[in-house]
Amino acid sequence: MRYKEYNVNGVLEKSIKLFWENGFRGCSINEIVNMTGVNRFSLYHEFENKEGILYASLNLYRERYCQDKLDLLKKDGDLPVILRDFYLSFIDESNPIPGCYFIHVATELADRDDKIKTIVDTYLTEIENLIDTLLQLKGISSENARYLTRHLLGLYCTAMSFCLIHTKEQREEHVDTGIKVILNNYG
Amino acid sequence: MARELSHSYDQLVEKAQEIFWIHGFKGVNAKELAEYVGVSTSTIYNKYSKELLFIDSLDYYTSTYSDPFLQQLRETTEGLESLKGFFYSLVEALLERTFPKSCLMVNTIVEMRNENQDIVDRYDHYLIVLKDSYKVVLNKAYALGQIKDEKSIDTYADFLLGMIFSLSILYKIKPKKELQTYIDEQLQFIQ
Repeated sequence: MRYKEYNVNGVLEKSIKLFWENGFRGCSINEIVNMTGVNRFSLYHEFENKEGILYASLNLYRERYCQDKLDLLKKDGDLPVILRDFYLSFIDESNPIPGCYFIHVATELADRDDKIKTIVDTYLTEIENLIDTLLQLKGISSENARYLTRHLLGLYCTAMSFCLIHTKEQREEHVDTGIKVILNNYG
Repeated sequence: MARELSHSYDQLVEKAQEIFWIHGFKGVNAKELAEYVGVSTSTIYNKYSKELLFIDSLDYYTSTYSDPFLQQLRETTEGLESLKGFFYSLVEALLERTFPKSCLMVNTIVEMRNENQDIVDRYDHYLIVLKDSYKVVLNKAYALGQIKDEKSIDTYADFLLGMIFSLSILYKIKPKKELQTYIDEQLQFIQ
């Protein structure tokens, strides 16, 4: 086994920050080298190319930053409160960068890179399945659950884009309004 | 240098807006921008600045694309049916790639958030016109008896503000049929 003088996840952590703050195209391999202190040869050996670093960074983001948040959808309690806590967990102050890295990357690249499209699709489908299960657990029929899930996923996309430019109060208000309007008929 | 003089500033902005729309603000460096708009890199640095060209590109985008599109929406007469047509044509344009990419304002909001106050000021204009346009159509829908609760029109307009953002992401992964169902159902929520 090749001895690694650097920590792969450490490289990916820093890459998440760089890609999220500067965009994928706005960040050169040199910047990653400078930021991580790992030379270009080692980076290419491990990840093949800059795209490889991006793909791996999305995986790490999912494991390290999303699991706790997705688990909120499995908690007991009032449906609107569970949903609200889930959405807000991505945009509250505890996040180094508020929002969702998947949505950020998707906005820049998903209509040009099929692999990104698949990665984003897989992630959003996972959220859909969790919401769908949650709704059925709350006694909503499978047909209605599928229909409501579609819109609660839409609200996720909105919360991770539109809401980011607003104040904390405005974000919460938009999320609350969204949940209220969507669940209105199923109170 | 003679070549540079043939460009008016407005032409530069029009050109710059094209490349910013595709790659965003941070995804275009000064060299690429200079090459694309046909001036030297030093001209970008010394005379205009990438930031200034970007902000003027946003204004160009708003006045050329989004404002006229929303003006048309405000002039419609069918209430919710008109809104449906508006969102359907948006999905159509996204999927058919009539435009190089999803809405430049939406992409900029995701990319830049609140990092730059001059850009934030552009969001404000955009969002005010957007919400106002929805309210104009929702009021017509109320007059047509399609919406029962007049007091909720403001809330509904806020709700619909999210639509352009969710569609801008969902169109990348969902089939057209499902996007249309999504639109139909969103409009049912507000009846």
